[in-house]
Amino acid sequence: MASQDLAGKVAIVTGGTRGLGLACAQSLANAGANVVITGLNEERGAAAAQSIGASTRFVRQDVSKSDDWPAVMTAAAELGDLDIMIANAGISNFIPIDQMDLQSFRTLMNINLKGAFLSLKHATQAMRSHGKGGSIIMMSSVMGRMSAPANTHYSASKAGVRLMMKAAALELGAENIRVNAVLPGLIHSDMTAWLDEAETAPAFVPVKRFGLASEIADTVLFAASDRSKFMTGTELVVDGGLLAR
Amino acid sequence: MTPIDDLKDKVAIITGATKGIGRSTAILFARSGAKVIATGRSEDAGAESAAMIQAEGGEGLFIRQDVTSEADWKKVCDLALSLYEGLDIVVNNAGVFMVKPIEETSEDDFDWIYRTNVEGTFLGIKYGFDAMRKTGRGGSIVNVSSLMGQVGFPGASAYCATKGAITGLTKSAALEGADITPQIRVNSLHPGVIWTEMITDQFGGDEALQQAFIDETPLKMIGRPEHMADAIAYLASDQSSYVTGSELTVDGGRGAD
Repeated sequence: MASQDLAGKVAIVTGGTRGLGLACAQSLANAGANVVITGLNEERGAAAAQSIGASTRFVRQDVSKSDDWPAVMTAAAELGDLDIMIANAGISNFIPIDQMDLQSFRTLMNINLKGAFLSLKHATQAMRSHGKGGSIIMMSSVMGRMSAPANTHYSASKAGVRLMMKAAALELGAENIRVNAVLPGLIHSDMTAWLDEAETAPAFVPVKRFGLASEIADTVLFAASDRSKFMTGTELVVDGGLLAR
Repeated sequence: MTPIDDLKDKVAIITGATKGIGRSTAILFARSGAKVIATGRSEDAGAESAAMIQAEGGEGLFIRQDVTSEADWKKVCDLALSLYEGLDIVVNNAGVFMVKPIEETSEDDFDWIYRTNVEGTFLGIKYGFDAMRKTGRGGSIVNVSSLMGQVGFPGASAYCATKGAITGLTKSAALEGADITPQIRVNSLHPGVIWTEMITDQFGGDEALQQAFIDETPLKMIGRPEHMADAIAYLASDQSSYVTGSELTVDGGRGAD
């Protein structure tokens, strides 16, 4: 990709302080965008913003709380009109159905599904107000199309994100607000740190390795830039072939 | 169409490069510094594509190829190996289109569309794998399917059958490609309505028709070959290094409902 594809663009990356979100924020900044990253941990957020570069801002945020959103949108507005939203924040855990209390179910759903909705809503408001369109990218997962035991809540949340994306693409297309989803497979991050790659990858992943966060960021960059200007309502699968069999 | 750094010096075969999506892809690849072998059936249109590649300052040529011919595939892959000393990318773009109700579709009609769209793509994968193994650098194969390889369309049963076959063929090939060392990635692209001769030859090219397509598309715009070239460049290059066996739909949102 040409290095300055996103020169002068303004982007928000929720959950941008580590893992996939941090890699996305770094790539967007490398391509010339001014980025606001959000997350729960102040210390980690400040360090992440500094590591990305001088123009990067960190705002502490719980994506599932409406009250936390105005500060994020204000920080982005100070950088300019919002062009790109990466609705990335998410959590994962494995709990069997009969051991799942409603609070655990709700906590994950609040972040993964309601948080994605609030990201979509606030991005839509900002992009409508300037009228130039924009690109919204929602982080779903291969688990939004397949599943695994003890994963009812996570799979439900990621399938929900996938379909929410399609509804939004249909609703916002006429205003040139594009909405797409990225479906990562097994990617090196804190979320998969408990898995043994040498054992898991050959069993589940056709290419026999986990992906890198930077490989997700490459795809996000394609979806964020004008290279994909005719693309909306699409699921971009980045999984080393996991869903192909 | 902005050049993509990762394509520099890659050797690419692009079928159906005499017009439409194939020609735009050849131009973008040449602009990006790739070495392009553009193929197709028409010598005259091929010469025009070659001139466009050279006008980009790019390296590349046109060679006549019928994608349904094994002999032609051998010839084209041998050319990549002898002239450019390798093969990194195959874009199986050549395809034909037909709109006919089921009861009016003859066996000859079906054979005609099947041979180019399915056998042509299969041979591109088969001979592409072979040349990429000989090259030893891995590779990426992009198969141009269609939105009609994912959903149905009245009057296009034969076309949908061929494009659906490409969707399945791609996934199997991706699994085999993952077991080749170094690995070969295989993905399919699913364009919506793209304003090319494939559409205008079938339906006519008047403005009212174009407006109707725009109105039916959530993004309220017409798809252009250049849009597909950008998507093919993403799938062909290392920008999609962890993407294989996937379907990339670029249709202005038509398939989302």
